[in-house]
Amino acid sequence: MIFEDDETLQMYIEESLDHLSNIENDLLLIEEAGADINEELVNNVFRAAHSIKGGAGFMGLSNIKELSHKIENVLGLIRSREIVPTPETINTLLKAFDTLKDMIHDVEHSNGMDTSEHIVALVGLTAASLPDDEKESVAGILNISIEGKANLLTAPQFDIDQAKKEGMTIYLVEYDLIHDIHRKKKTPLDVISSLINSGKMIQSKIDIDAVGTLNQEIPTRIPFYILFASIIEPEIITALFDVEEKYVHVVTESMCSPAHEGALPEPDLFDILSEESPETPDIPEPESIPFDEPIESAQTIEPVSIPDPVKEDTAETISTLSKPATSQTSLRVNVDLLDDLMTLAGELVLSRNQLLQGISLKDKRTLEIAGQRIDMVTSELQEAIMKTRMQSISNVFNKFPRVVRDLARDLGKEIALSIEGKDVELDKTIIEAISDPLTHLVRNAVDHGIESPEVRRSLGKDPTGIIKLKAFHEAGQVNIEITDDGKGIDGNQLVTSALKKNLINDQEANLLSDKEKIALIFLPGFSTAHQVTDISGRGVGMDVVKTNLDKLGGIVDIESAVHKGTVIRIKLPLTLAIIPSQIISVGNERYAIPQVNLNELLRIPAVQVKDRIEKVGNAEVVRLRGSLLPLLNLSKVLEIDNFYVHPSDGSKSSDRRENIADRRSKYSPPIDPPESELPETQPDTPDETGYTPRQIAERRRSINSAINIAVVSAGPFKYGLVVNYLRDSEEIVVKPLGRHLKGCQGYAGATIMGDGKVALILDVAGLAQMAKLASIEKLDSAGRMPEDPTQAQQDKGDATSLLLFRNGIDEQCAVPLAMVERIERIKVANIETVGGKKVIQYRGGSLPLFSLDQVADMKSLPESSQLEVIVFTLAGREVGLMVTPPVDAVDVVVELDKTTLRQTGIMGSAIIGNHTTLMVDMYELVRAINPGWFEGKANRLKPSNQHPLVLFAEDSDFFRNQVKGFLEDAGYRVLEAKDGLAAWDLLEQNADSVSIILTDLEMPGMDGFELAAKIKGDERFSHLKIIALTSLADDEDIEKGTRIGIDDYQIKLDREKLIEAVKLRLGK
Amino acid sequence: MQGKTGEGKKNTVLELATFFIGDALCGIDILNIQEINRHMESTWVPQAPDYVIGVLNLRGRIVTVIDLGKKLGLSPIQKSKDSRNIIIDSKDEHIGFMVDRISDVLPAESNKIEPAPANIGGVQGGFFKGVFKTETSLIGVLDIEEVLKDK
Repeated sequence: MIFEDDETLQMYIEESLDHLSNIENDLLLIEEAGADINEELVNNVFRAAHSIKGGAGFMGLSNIKELSHKIENVLGLIRSREIVPTPETINTLLKAFDTLKDMIHDVEHSNGMDTSEHIVALVGLTAASLPDDEKESVAGILNISIEGKANLLTAPQFDIDQAKKEGMTIYLVEYDLIHDIHRKKKTPLDVISSLINSGKMIQSKIDIDAVGTLNQEIPTRIPFYILFASIIEPEIITALFDVEEKYVHVVTESMCSPAHEGALPEPDLFDILSEESPETPDIPEPESIPFDEPIESAQTIEPVSIPDPVKEDTAETISTLSKPATSQTSLRVNVDLLDDLMTLAGELVLSRNQLLQGISLKDKRTLEIAGQRIDMVTSELQEAIMKTRMQSISNVFNKFPRVVRDLARDLGKEIALSIEGKDVELDKTIIEAISDPLTHLVRNAVDHGIESPEVRRSLGKDPTGIIKLKAFHEAGQVNIEITDDGKGIDGNQLVTSALKKNLINDQEANLLSDKEKIALIFLPGFSTAHQVTDISGRGVGMDVVKTNLDKLGGIVDIESAVHKGTVIRIKLPLTLAIIPSQIISVGNERYAIPQVNLNELLRIPAVQVKDRIEKVGNAEVVRLRGSLLPLLNLSKVLEIDNFYVHPSDGSKSSDRRENIADRRSKYSPPIDPPESELPETQPDTPDETGYTPRQIAERRRSINSAINIAVVSAGPFKYGLVVNYLRDSEEIVVKPLGRHLKGCQGYAGATIMGDGKVALILDVAGLAQMAKLASIEKLDSAGRMPEDPTQAQQDKGDATSLLLFRNGIDEQCAVPLAMVERIERIKVANIETVGGKKVIQYRGGSLPLFSLDQVADMKSLPESSQLEVIVFTLAGREVGLMVTPPVDAVDVVVELDKTTLRQTGIMGSAIIGNHTTLMVDMYELVRAINPGWFEGKANRLKPSNQHPLVLFAEDSDFFRNQVKGFLEDAGYRVLEAKDGLAAWDLLEQNADSVSIILTDLEMPGMDGFELAAKIKGDERFSHLKIIALTSLADDEDIEKGTRIGIDDYQIKLDREKLIEAVKLRLGK
Repeated sequence: MQGKTGEGKKNTVLELATFFIGDALCGIDILNIQEINRHMESTWVPQAPDYVIGVLNLRGRIVTVIDLGKKLGLSPIQKSKDSRNIIIDSKDEHIGFMVDRISDVLPAESNKIEPAPANIGGVQGGFFKGVFKTETSLIGVLDIEEVLKDK
């Protein structure tokens, strides 16, 4: 049925799609302009419809021809200002073009598609615009005859009338397929397209009868008739047609005779002849077809029209050909670029020859040169080929005006869409892949973003909403922004919704920042629409968009303000096929990390491992410029047997450390105090033996024991990937993995390394998911927890006032504020060193000065002219601690980690404001330097009291340990209780031995007041003194406590006073 | 394609490439086979299913190598000088079957291939299209797609 060869058909399809590609936007512009017609635009669309029609007629695609013809009619009327392009008209045209596009995508079946709806609508439009007497011409059909040949072809009367109205002359041209077209190496399409530049093609037909059958003699002439209208005068027209004058006929009235009345889609020769003639429902009675060609001729055409007599074959080729047309199998490439490629290919061949020559001559020099050349040529070639894959983003953007318009109409919204950066180019695979996510986002903006005009008016906004699409290059990536000025996203509403769906819990919800609240929209299973609408809801939402973009290595970010609008930013790599990447290795294998995911490389020297890598809960983290970065051990995530390579002899042994910061051997010098009760920092396996402790200590300092970390990020994840070795950075070619490996989350593909071996490409987000790593948002909020005092109060009980300061630039330390007397700034020049100790003249006396590095294993203070000195009163004297500013006071809840960083003078560490902070124990510090200061006091106690037993209730581990420490140092025995109830139980068990009670006030279960009331109310214990410990004693509490019978109040960490108070109360 | 018609009425002759997995003699229609090589340098893929030995580079294509012994539920293939990689072309993808030893290529008339019993030498019958009897031996004709099904 389809006449032309595959190549021509393919060409036609491509050309038509090309024509159609920009039509929507033109039509939308026409609609916008309304009665004020921009002829240029109308002409554009008209020409597109026209050339599609012309080709279709020739190809026997009758349905396409018919529809495009009707479209053309309407456009012609718009051009001549007989129809005003109202939104309805444009709508009809848009829909007709949609169908046209569908048909062209599926040419093979186009003749079977139902286009009647559009035809009726279009004919309706045409008819409505005409004066009554002309109306019938819309549907009328004329037979055109020339001498000796009656009813040569038929043409719609409307077209002929329209052409004549425009002052055109109608010509009937008789081409000969053999002489005029084939011999001149042209195709009928060439002829048609050259003609439509100078006129209007009304109808075309090939005279199949003239060909005869195979039994007859070979014909000398196959006529190809074209009915053509042009303003060119008959005298000069033959030059255009390029045929002998006798084959050009001017069509006069006398040659035309009406064929049939009624709204018949004009039938085409090929329809009738082909076996699969479509039964268009519009055709009332088949026998009324005004053709004198007998149906029998159908049998004669087949063998002739297709050189290959086997029809099935053709059908098959066409079906295979036309299918891929929808997923774009061919690409237009700039000729210059193609020339460049050719040149490069030539160079490549030359270099190969050179290489071969070098190999056969074994000439190292030649080989080197050839190698360099090939290196250069291949990279240029790669670049050039990549360029051919680059496509403008307008391919995606161009469909949005229509999408927005249609949706806005459906929803009754007024929306203006502005598009910027259409010429930004991206790799074609990316273009294809972002189309859906972008469409989803744009639809979302229209559906959920922009409010209805009434709402907008009531909010004092312009009733017309604005959606902006913008693409631009930045830092080697393509950025796409979708901005709307609609109602924005209400973060709190998202939180409520997420809570309802159990996607987050209350606690998490309270910790979210505004931005994180909005980011909730990306959680799987989250859809914001109150009702799932047909337009963008559907239950799948932003999470799918995000996943799709993540797959492309893209990043999506959302920013929104209620009633102001939303901005969605997407960052995409330029290409996916060849990517720069970092090669790393673990175990025996190499892996590639795409450079887009890589933020930085980090090498932590063995000596610093202990300080910089910590454990928070179960997760290991590294401190990186003041923030905590979770760590993933690649070998652990992938369960690779890890090897430890001995630095001196290169021997390998398996590395079975549980934690990165663990020592490799029990022989290494202990850093923890021996009484540390943390089993996981104990060496887990004495895996190397036979080394002396000293050797092992050395090994820890060997550079090969350093920890290599690739800091990577993907979407919500940012973490450090611990690897064995960091190798080169290479450009790799991404190859897909087979289907058996699709289940492995950790890989994005594979690549082939220079030595021919395969290396896997790591999927950074996938690895994070495998390790169940919390997203960075959650992690941030975890780190932030202590910063929010009110929140902390609810969760953890009481906060402590701490004074934060620094020792050196990067070591943050803290002391309890209650212990601090003053903070002074001193000049370093004023410090005197007397008797090996530093002092400064201060308020008429000498203030002894200490620094942390005197006792603890810490950095010495950086040199500067001024220092801050924190003044404490200890053992009845004032001492000064020299620190580096800034000095700052904070109220936080401290969760003290007593083991990881414990050393003399440092009671432990806590995380404050995302920094690991060392908690300084001033007593220990000063005692370590001046042990004599405290001796007197401690001794004084012992003989007079038989180690009185103190019952101490406190819920915070930190305080309990601290205070217990004070008390024990002072010579008391301490019974610890975690809350009031436990304290009561202990009291009952030790009813006889407890001498005094110390209690915190804020405790879970039974608080300090209740405990005190219970004790005072029980006659067994009412004699016991109760000292309440508070962090911040306020008058109301004191009053309440006094009523109950609490004997004294003390500040928790004021050791001296506390000890004094205990002594005093016991003494009474 | 020919393998399938073998189940039908038409009688066609298949060429069966036969090989050993342990003691079991199996065959694959030679038309499914891209090549047979000794490429043993595969890259191990952590977290992959246990029957996947690794991936290797076959002239620029990534080939997943499968231990056919493990896949069929027999003992794993012992790498030796006899073991070979049979590269199969399936669904636009190359997949390698590691086998213990390759044997002859035999012509087999499709109507002589009998339905597979529920169990052939310890292997589930589902993996086979049928069995082909020669004078001396019994060859299990593998159903490639069934074997390659990724569960």
